[in-house]
Amino acid sequence: MNGGVFDNMAPTAKRSFIVTIVLFAIAVVIYLFCLQPCEAELERTKRSLSELQDKQSRMNADLKNAGTVKKDLEELKAALKLYQDAMLVPLLESYAMRAKTLLDPLILGAGLQDVQYNNDTFRALPLPNPMPRQLHTRAAIKVNATGSYQQAISFLLRLEKEFPLVSLRQLGIVSQASPEHQALTFVLEWPAKGGLTRK
Amino acid sequence: MNSSSLHLNLLKPTERRSSSPIRLRVMLPICAILVCAGLLCWWGMLFTNLMMAKTQASGIEEDLANKGKQHAEIIKLRDEARELKLQLEQLDYYKAGVRSVAEPLAKFAEIVPMRVQIKEMSFSPLPAQILQPPGAKAPLFGPTENVETQKLVIAGLTTKETPVVSLMESLSSGFEKLVTSERKIKSFRQDNAEAEGRKLLSFEVEYTMPERRFAK
Repeated sequence: MNGGVFDNMAPTAKRSFIVTIVLFAIAVVIYLFCLQPCEAELERTKRSLSELQDKQSRMNADLKNAGTVKKDLEELKAALKLYQDAMLVPLLESYAMRAKTLLDPLILGAGLQDVQYNNDTFRALPLPNPMPRQLHTRAAIKVNATGSYQQAISFLLRLEKEFPLVSLRQLGIVSQASPEHQALTFVLEWPAKGGLTRK
Repeated sequence: MNSSSLHLNLLKPTERRSSSPIRLRVMLPICAILVCAGLLCWWGMLFTNLMMAKTQASGIEEDLANKGKQHAEIIKLRDEARELKLQLEQLDYYKAGVRSVAEPLAKFAEIVPMRVQIKEMSFSPLPAQILQPPGAKAPLFGPTENVETQKLVIAGLTTKETPVVSLMESLSSGFEKLVTSERKIKSFRQDNAEAEGRKLLSFEVEYTMPERRFAK
């Protein structure tokens, strides 16, 4: 619009035109400085509200399942206790001495003689996925003794009855001059606590 | 005579008026006002929604803060349960690999034929576990294999081959916990030992034992 047209406009039309321009300018200002920031802020708030609602629903679901979690934990502890009771725990830092205290009654009951207890190589157990923090291992104790085959079997039968989680890793029976005094070697395995996978 | 009309326009341009009943000078400001009002209404609605959303968010935040301690305890219990479950799983692997051979060994004494003397009976040693494979930066926490196999070696003396064959036949059934059907006669030869005035025969039989499978 050039100046000529504007100059030729009636005063009321001129006023109207200026008012219109001013109002449109106000509209633009409202849009740019009020509407747009408000819309952006609303978008952000809605996003954060949605995250909070998700978190709240998860939290409520967790709290609702608290009873189940506690029950599961108790069951797991009970199941684990069966293993913990069967684990070989060192006596004054000696696994062999702990094995001696456990096995002496059985060994003597079976009639074996010249018994010696020594640590054998511990073997790692396969790992579940993911790994637990506390690992368990296969602790092994080597027992050397002399006695008859029947005495050796008597010992093993008692052992399996008293300690169902003890496993015979190795066996050696070598005949000697007297069948009552054969050279016997047993490598026995127990579950035991192992290392930590993380602090 | 042709009559010609004379059109005399004495109005100045600024004094001219539109013949249209809708006057642009009125409608334009009204439209602009309506646009402004519409935008203000829109803004008002957005602002109200924003305030409502913020109020709701702060309400949820307050609720989360109130339940936070209780929830943290549940999370701790859940983590503990997860850890125990994994420990239990590994111990179940152990249990699955427990070998129970006392009964078959007791039964073995009953099947040894009269003319066989067992000189040695042993389980073969296990190969060492490789927990530091070549090229690995740190040792492994556990083996990659979950199966172990051992051999049962039975060595003895006899007068002839038939008692040994009889012993092997007896071992072929009812001793599944001790031996598999896979066997190898490692040696069968004349020995220096004598009994009843004749040279004895020595033998060595190697049986593959059932696998110990450390898995669920």
